[in-house]
Amino acid sequence: MAREMTGPGTARGGISSIAQRVAGQPSQGGKVGGRQGPLGRVYLSQLIPALLIVLIGVINMWSCALALEGEVNFTSHLAGIALGFAAAVVVWRYDYRNLSNLTTALFVLSCVMLALPLVPGLGVEGGLGGLGWVRIGPLRFQPSEPSKLVVIALMASACAQYNGKIETFADYARLCGTLLVPLLLIMVTDLGTGLMIFFTGATIIICSGAPRTWVLATIALIVGVSALVVITSSIDGLPHILKPYQLTRLTVFLDPEGSSSEDAYNLIQAMIAIGSGGLLGKGFGNASQSLLGFVPESQTDFIFATYAEQFGFVGSVLLLALYAWMILATVFLAMRVESTFSKLVLVGCAAMWTFQVLESVGMCIGIMPITGIPLPFMTYGSSSMVTQLAAVGLVQSVWRHRQKVA
Amino acid sequence: MDLSVVIVIVCAVLAVALIVVFIVFGRSEAAFTFDIGGSAPRASGGSDSSSDKTLSSRLVGLSVAVGAIFAALFARLWSMQLVSADEYAERAESNRTSTVYTQAPRGRILDRNGKEIVTNRASLTVSAQSDVVDDEVEVQLLANLIGMPAQAVRRKLQDTSAGYQSLRTVSVDVSRRVVAYIGEHPDVFPGVTIEERTQRSYPLGSLAAHVVGYTGTVTAEQLESSASGDGTQIGYRSGDVVGQTGIELQYESVLQGVRGEQLVYVNAHGDVVGLSTTIEPQRGSDLVLTIDADIQAAAEASLKRIVDDLASEEKPASGSAVAIDCTNGEILAMASYPTFSPSVFVGGISASDWEDLQAESANYPMLNRAIAGQYPPGSVIKPLTAFAALDNGIATPSSSWVCTGWWTWSGNQSDQAGMKCWQESGHGGINLADGITFSCDVVFYEIGKGFYYSKDNPEGMQETFREYGLGQKTGVDLPGEEAGRVPDAAWKWEYFKSLGYSDEDATWQGGENCNIAIGQGDMLVTSLQMAAAYCSIATGGPMWRPHLMRGVRARIGDGLVSEYRCETLRDIEEDETYRQLVDSGLEGVTYRESASQASHWTNLDVTVLSKTGTAEQQSSEGNVGWFCSFAPAEDPKYVVCANVDGADWGATTAMYVVRDIYGQIYGQPDTSTAASESAD
Repeated sequence: MAREMTGPGTARGGISSIAQRVAGQPSQGGKVGGRQGPLGRVYLSQLIPALLIVLIGVINMWSCALALEGEVNFTSHLAGIALGFAAAVVVWRYDYRNLSNLTTALFVLSCVMLALPLVPGLGVEGGLGGLGWVRIGPLRFQPSEPSKLVVIALMASACAQYNGKIETFADYARLCGTLLVPLLLIMVTDLGTGLMIFFTGATIIICSGAPRTWVLATIALIVGVSALVVITSSIDGLPHILKPYQLTRLTVFLDPEGSSSEDAYNLIQAMIAIGSGGLLGKGFGNASQSLLGFVPESQTDFIFATYAEQFGFVGSVLLLALYAWMILATVFLAMRVESTFSKLVLVGCAAMWTFQVLESVGMCIGIMPITGIPLPFMTYGSSSMVTQLAAVGLVQSVWRHRQKVA
Repeated sequence: MDLSVVIVIVCAVLAVALIVVFIVFGRSEAAFTFDIGGSAPRASGGSDSSSDKTLSSRLVGLSVAVGAIFAALFARLWSMQLVSADEYAERAESNRTSTVYTQAPRGRILDRNGKEIVTNRASLTVSAQSDVVDDEVEVQLLANLIGMPAQAVRRKLQDTSAGYQSLRTVSVDVSRRVVAYIGEHPDVFPGVTIEERTQRSYPLGSLAAHVVGYTGTVTAEQLESSASGDGTQIGYRSGDVVGQTGIELQYESVLQGVRGEQLVYVNAHGDVVGLSTTIEPQRGSDLVLTIDADIQAAAEASLKRIVDDLASEEKPASGSAVAIDCTNGEILAMASYPTFSPSVFVGGISASDWEDLQAESANYPMLNRAIAGQYPPGSVIKPLTAFAALDNGIATPSSSWVCTGWWTWSGNQSDQAGMKCWQESGHGGINLADGITFSCDVVFYEIGKGFYYSKDNPEGMQETFREYGLGQKTGVDLPGEEAGRVPDAAWKWEYFKSLGYSDEDATWQGGENCNIAIGQGDMLVTSLQMAAAYCSIATGGPMWRPHLMRGVRARIGDGLVSEYRCETLRDIEEDETYRQLVDSGLEGVTYRESASQASHWTNLDVTVLSKTGTAEQQSSEGNVGWFCSFAPAEDPKYVVCANVDGADWGATTAMYVVRDIYGQIYGQPDTSTAASESAD
C-alpha cells in the first residue's frame, strides 16, 4: 500500500462514506430513503420493469419455439432465466462494495475472460459472433457477456478512486488505457460486443468527472481514427483493417435497398416484419416474416423484429417504455446514492442496457449498423440472460446495501 | 481464422497492452497501484460540493441521453409501424404468398363429323428444381436414366425461358420405366419430380397439318403484346403453350383454356405451408371444323401420290387442293404438299428438325400452298375471261374465230411476232363455248386484243377478275393468306418504275392483255382464290366467304354453342345466257375435250363441270397444272380445285387429284386406267 488510510475524519464521499459508517457515525442525511420491511431490500422501480421484460421475453420466445423447432429450445431459455435469477440473488446478497478494492483483480479477470476464446482448445465457433464462444466441458458460453459486468466493476472501481473529479491528464489517460486493454482483446473476436464494452466503459469515465474538453478531444480522436479505418478499408491499395464483409455490415443500414448483400436482405426482411406489424401487430404466433424464415436469426439478433411483428406498435412502445423505466430508475438511484463507486456501477449498468437496446432495436429498424448484440432479457441464449439478470442483481445489491455496512 | 494468426494477434495485443500500461502508469511520480484499499482517494483537490456537482450534472446528462435514444427509437417505430405500415404489410404479404399455376388443356380440334384431328394426351414429364444443377452426381445419374447427355440436362436446368419458377422441365414424355425408377429412389434424386401434363396429340397423324397448324411455347413478342393489350386478350405467362400457326393460332382465344391459379402460403424456402384460394383450370373449348377428315385424307393421299411421282424426276414438285361447299363457303378439304407433322413441335421442336423444315431441299413443307402458294392460273381463268368479254360486248354468244395455231396482233399470219395456241395444229373455226372446252388460246388472244382497243372499258377483264375475288384475300379464317395479283396498267407502271425501268418498258402493252386473258403474264392466284371464284360460277351469284370453322362445341353433348356465321363476299349477277354458254363450255371440258379425260369422269354418277389449265411460270422451270371443277351440274354443291407446281399439264396431274376427291365425296373412286392426254 502506497498510501495509508488517513482516518475517518478526512475521508469524504464515495468509499470514505463507507468508512464513516464503519466508524459508527450516522449517515449524514443520506438521500436514499426507501421502504422498510420485507420489500425494503429490493429496488422495485428497477425490478418490476426488468421482471416484466423477462415475462415478455418468455412469451415471445414461446412463439419462436413453436415455429422454429430445432433452433429454439424453450426449456433451455427457461433454464437460462432460472440460472440468471440464481446469479442475481447471489449478486444481490453479495456486498458489491467489496469490488471497489479489487481493481487489479478485476483487470486481470476481464483480460483472462476476454482472452479465453483465443485459447486453442477452448474457443469454438458458433453463432454470428464467430470466435466468441468457449467450451469448458459440457458448458458452452460467450465469456464476453459476463465480462461486461466485470468491466463495469473494473471501470467503476478505477474511476471511483478519483472521487468524482479527474484533475490531471495523466489520470484521465490511465483510465482510458485501463479500458483499452480488454477492449483490444475483445475487438479481435467480436467487434460488436467490443463496441458495447467500449461505450459502457467510456460512459463510466465521462460520468466519473473527466473534464469536458478532454472528453470531447477523445471523442474527436475516436471519430477520426474510426473514419480513417473505414476509409482505408474501403480504398483499394490501403491496408484493409476491416474486412469487406465487416465494412458492409457496418454501412449497409444506410441504404439497404441499394445493396445486394445478404445483410441488406436480412435487414430489409426485418424492417418489413416490424413495419407490417402495424399498430396492434399480427398476434401471437402469426409472424409470417419472422417465423416463416424470411427474417434470419429471429430468435437472437433480430428478436425485436419477431416481437414487433407479433405485437405491433403498441407492444413495441410498451417494451421500450419498460426498458426506459428500468434504465432511468437505475440512473435515478445513481443520483441518490452517495458513494462514487456505487454511482458509477449503476451508471455502467444503465449505459450497458441503453447501448444494447439502442443497438439491438436500432439495427432491426435500420438506424444502426448490423451487429449481433443481444436485446437484454429477450434474446435467446443463456450467456446473455444470466449476465443481464446478474446486472439486475447488481443494481439490487446497490439498493440493498445502500445504508448498511459490508 | 487461422489459429496461428489468432495467437500472433493475441500476443501483439498483449504486448501493446503491456506497453500502454507501462507508459501510462509508469510515468506517475508514485508507483502505480490499482487498489487503494480503502485509503484516501487519489483526487484530493476540489471540494465535496464541486465533485458532487460534476457527478450530478453528468448523471442528468446521462438521463437526457437515455431519453433521447428512446425518443429516437420511438420516432422510428412510429414512422414504420404507423405511417408506413401498409407499405410494409404489402411487402410482407407478397413474401408469404405465391401463386401456383396449372396449365389448362387446350380445346380439341374436330372435323365436321366430330372426328378428332387434334386432341390432348397425358404426358409424363420429369421436372427438377434449378439447384439440382449444383449436384454433379445427380445430374449425371438423371442424364443416364433419361438417356440425355449430362450437358443437355444441365442446360435444361439452367433454362429460364419458362420463367424463374423453381421447377425446370428436364424431359417430356418419359417412359414408365424412368418414372418408376425415380419414384423408387427418391433419396437418389432429391428435387426431381414427375408431373403429368397434357400435350397436343394428333390421332390422324399429319392430316390437315397446314390447316390446324401447331402449338409452341409463347414467344417473347406474344408475351409482350399480351401484356400491352387492352385486357381483352389472353394474358399469357412465360411458358404457356399457344397456337403458332393455322387454326391453332387463328382460334387461339377459343382453344386456349383458363389456367388454374392457386394462392399458397410459403415460407422463406418456398415450401408451401398453407393453401389459400383456388381457381380450377378450365379447359379450352373444342372447335369443330368444316373439314371432312375423309375427304381431306383422300385429297392429301392423292396429292402426295401425284406430286411424289413428279418429284421423282429432277425438279421438285408441290401442290395443293381445295374442296368447298359452294352453297355456304365451308371448306371440306384443304391440302398442301409437301407437308409436315405437327407432332414434332410438341414439347419444343429440336433445332435440327426445324432446320429440316426450313430447308430449300425439302421444298418448304411449312408453306400452306392452298392459301399462300401464288401461281399464274393459266387456262382455268378462261371462264372468267369469257364472262368479261360477254359482259363488255367484246364477244357475243354467236361470235366465232379461226385458230390456225399461230396468232398475230395484226392478223397477218406471216408476221414473225405472234403467239401460239397451245394446240399448234390449230382449232379451226371456233366459237366461245368451244373456245373454253378446247381451251383455244387464239379465242382469248382476240378477246384480250378487243379489250385493248375497247373505248368504254379497256380494263374490263381485270374488273371481272377482281369481281370474282382475284387479287385480294378471300378472308378465310387462317393466318398467312396471300392476295395474288391482277395486273393492270397502273400496277405495271408503279411496279416497273420502282425497279427503274424506262417509261416505255413500264407502259401496258396489248400483248399483256392477251397474256392475262389466258391466265399468264404477271397474274398470280392461289388455289383457294380459284376455288372461291368457281363457287361463284357454280352458284351463278352469291360468293360465300370460304371458311374452316364450323362452330364451337358445347361442353356437354355434340351440339354447337357458337356457329360460324356464313357471309357472302359479293353477289355476282351474270346474264343467264352467258352462264349457260360458259357452263356448256365447262361441261365440254369434262366430257368432250378428250376421250381419255372423259373416261375418268363418266364413271362418276354426277355431271361435273370443269376446266383444265397449264400455266408457264416466269420464276421456275416447271409448269403449274390446274384443274378446277364443280358438281353436280344441275344444282352445284361441291367446288374442287387443285394445282400442281412442277407439272407438265394440268390434265395429267391436278385432274387426278380432283377426281380422287370426288371419288371420296360420292363414294365412286376412279376406275379408269386410261392415261389422260396432254391437253390444256
